Amino acid sequence: MAARRTRKGRTRSRAEREFVSEAEEIVERMRDDLLSLSEQQAAGADPDPDLVNQLFRAAHSLKGLSGMFGLDGMSELAHRLEDVLDRLRLGRVADPTGASALVEEAVALVASSLAGLGDDASTAATVGAISDLTGRIDAWLVLPTEAAGDAPDLAIDPTLLRALTEYEEHRLRHNVARGRYVHQIETCHDLQSFDAALSELGEAIKVDGELISTLPSAAGGDGSEIRFLLLAASDLDAPDLAAHLGLPESAVRCTGRSGDAAGEPAPAAGAAAPAVPAAEPAAAGRAPGDEVETLKSIGETVRVDIRKLDELMNLVGELMIQRRTLGALAQRLLADDQTTRVGAELDKVHKGLERKLQELQAGVLEVRMVPLRQIFEKLSRVVRRLRRDLDRAVKLEIRGADTELDKLIVEELVDPLVHVVRNAFDHAIEPPAEREAAGKPVEGTIRIEAYQRGNDVIVAVSDDGRGIDSERVHRKALERELVDPEQNLSPKEKLDLVFTPGLSTRDEVTETSGRGVGMDVVRANVTALGGLVGIESTPGQGTCLTMTLPITLAIVQALVVSVGAQRFAVPLSAVHETLFVAEEDLQRSRGGELLNLRGQALPVRRLAREFALPQTDPPDKMSLVVLGLGELRVGLLVDRLEGQQDAVIKPIQGPVADLRGIAGATELGDGEAVLVLDVAALVEDAGRLREAA
Amino acid sequence: MPSILVVEDSATMRSLLASALEELEPAVKITEASSGFEALRLLPRSSFDLIVTDINMPDVNGLELVSFVKNDPAYRSIPLIIVSTEGSERDREKGLGLGADAYVVKPFEPDRLRELASDLMARSRGQE
Repeated sequence: MAARRTRKGRTRSRAEREFVSEAEEIVERMRDDLLSLSEQQAAGADPDPDLVNQLFRAAHSLKGLSGMFGLDGMSELAHRLEDVLDRLRLGRVADPTGASALVEEAVALVASSLAGLGDDASTAATVGAISDLTGRIDAWLVLPTEAAGDAPDLAIDPTLLRALTEYEEHRLRHNVARGRYVHQIETCHDLQSFDAALSELGEAIKVDGELISTLPSAAGGDGSEIRFLLLAASDLDAPDLAAHLGLPESAVRCTGRSGDAAGEPAPAAGAAAPAVPAAEPAAAGRAPGDEVETLKSIGETVRVDIRKLDELMNLVGELMIQRRTLGALAQRLLADDQTTRVGAELDKVHKGLERKLQELQAGVLEVRMVPLRQIFEKLSRVVRRLRRDLDRAVKLEIRGADTELDKLIVEELVDPLVHVVRNAFDHAIEPPAEREAAGKPVEGTIRIEAYQRGNDVIVAVSDDGRGIDSERVHRKALERELVDPEQNLSPKEKLDLVFTPGLSTRDEVTETSGRGVGMDVVRANVTALGGLVGIESTPGQGTCLTMTLPITLAIVQALVVSVGAQRFAVPLSAVHETLFVAEEDLQRSRGGELLNLRGQALPVRRLAREFALPQTDPPDKMSLVVLGLGELRVGLLVDRLEGQQDAVIKPIQGPVADLRGIAGATELGDGEAVLVLDVAALVEDAGRLREAA
Repeated sequence: MPSILVVEDSATMRSLLASALEELEPAVKITEASSGFEALRLLPRSSFDLIVTDINMPDVNGLELVSFVKNDPAYRSIPLIIVSTEGSERDREKGLGLGADAYVVKPFEPDRLRELASDLMARSRGQE
């Protein structure tokens, strides 16, 4: 089971927790926006003003929030961030790319300050970094800027003009300088649905221009409607815009355009208007209607602490168990002639309850699921940063970002994935000259792919780098006395040694991969999630690391098996089949026992032996449970199969907690607590046995 | 019971504002709006005695909201406080120019906010 990461330090008030959670969300959004911004800048396009403004607003919120919590350093930093973004959005920046880099650095620093909150050592470390960065931003801020002019002299309704923010005034000037028409649009909407209507209008306006201001002007009709006065810049004249927006011509009034208004300030640096205005990047990148959906999702989304979902899931699990008790009771009543009728009624109620509980369980599970997109986006930021810092040509390909996993698993997956990607970047992809000499494309590729297979999600990270020399890994392991020199290992086993703690195949430790974190940590992290890590590599061609993960940790369907008087639960998702076997079906080999299963040698493990259980009277026909994870299979020999049931796996404490092969404990319908087997560990160990055989 | 509308897009800031105002004596009823749009929808539904709004919000921003409130005869008399981070002097001037009754800088002092809120509500009751 995954131990939930607990935050360091003192306990926080609810408000502080809310702050951290909101600030983290803001930082995530800023990172996404920065990524889009840098892509637009790289493509040489005018940055989407809405994007820059959104970033500005985010910095502004961070400043206000951190100030409220007395986090002076963060507040200072957010203040500088806001200043830089303010200049960027007001077009008063000579070098937008340099500004973006500063912003990026500041956002990363805010993120690390947030992560280190409450931890004195880490706070002390960020204080220095913050003062260094604010110093550099201050130096940057003294660079000359373009002064803001007055609002252009257009025939704009004074009420509208008075309510324009400084930023909106800037957008107005910018658009006028671009030679666009400036229109005033009057609309009236139903009070209940105006936001969707306005978003649609905004998107339609963006196709050929920009919506500058949305001023609610007065209640209309009997109070069930509301009027708006919009200020929009457009390449279209008033009749064309009205037609495009599906409004009567009288609703759109042109207030003028650049030719009409003399003495306009110069357009923003780096944003010189082309003779024929190109479509705004925002319009090109987004289909009309997207915004409507976004708004909707904001309005209908609530943020829930994952712990609350855990509690709900536990409750569902406990209800499931009580439901089983109820079922057993119904059966007993049914069996007795005196109570058959009551038994039948209770049985009906029990079946109805079962269906509803299953729906409830599915519902809670679904709420816990999040797409991997979030961490994939984080990875693409990591790569972008490495690319810049190390000046290495590497592209990242991402597939299957919509694949969903339990939120807890996704969270725990971030560190191992970042490590694997950094490793690939740092060690696997060769320098350009070496790649060229090997006849490879100069630009290396790292590909991250996720997909669902049965009850598992596979996340694979592959690269087209130099590959791993398994002999070299083996030599290293021998040198460090991590393997027995007598042991005869297959090439695959030698490669698997990369997961051994204490082994690093490189003598030098580079800054990117860091010291002390190795593939062993990656394996430990993934195994803790009930997953499995595998590696394949071809020298000269590349490496592929595969993580096989359960979709959720919260609740599993379990097969209950027994040996003697002892019962165990096995996650059903890992059970491929069950069969009866007799002693004579099993063959002994050097590595252990094997069963010939349809022509394949299946390693067999006896549960009684695994945990040294007393087995007084084994039945003639024992049950074999065939477990599989990824490509690996193992047969688990037990006395009996007891049945199937839902299990909420709970972590165990004490000496048993560290016992290999045990994932946790669960409660059965009759109230008895049983151990849940760790399929990943069993399968993995058997895989080694088989190799040895 | 006097009724206050708090308009702020940041959830944390909104609850800080609300909990500061909740301590007002006599007790007040607080309605929270997470956007300008939501505020526009809430305004006709009940009669508010005070509006507290942020400036930097998506869709309809604080200045646009102030303009709406102060230009509509139905709402004009409701006192309005802008709570915003120090920033553009121009936006501050504009807010007051549009008819906002006070401008409070974030990080705000809860006591100062409560004091302002009571004063403004008392003053507007006196005018009625």
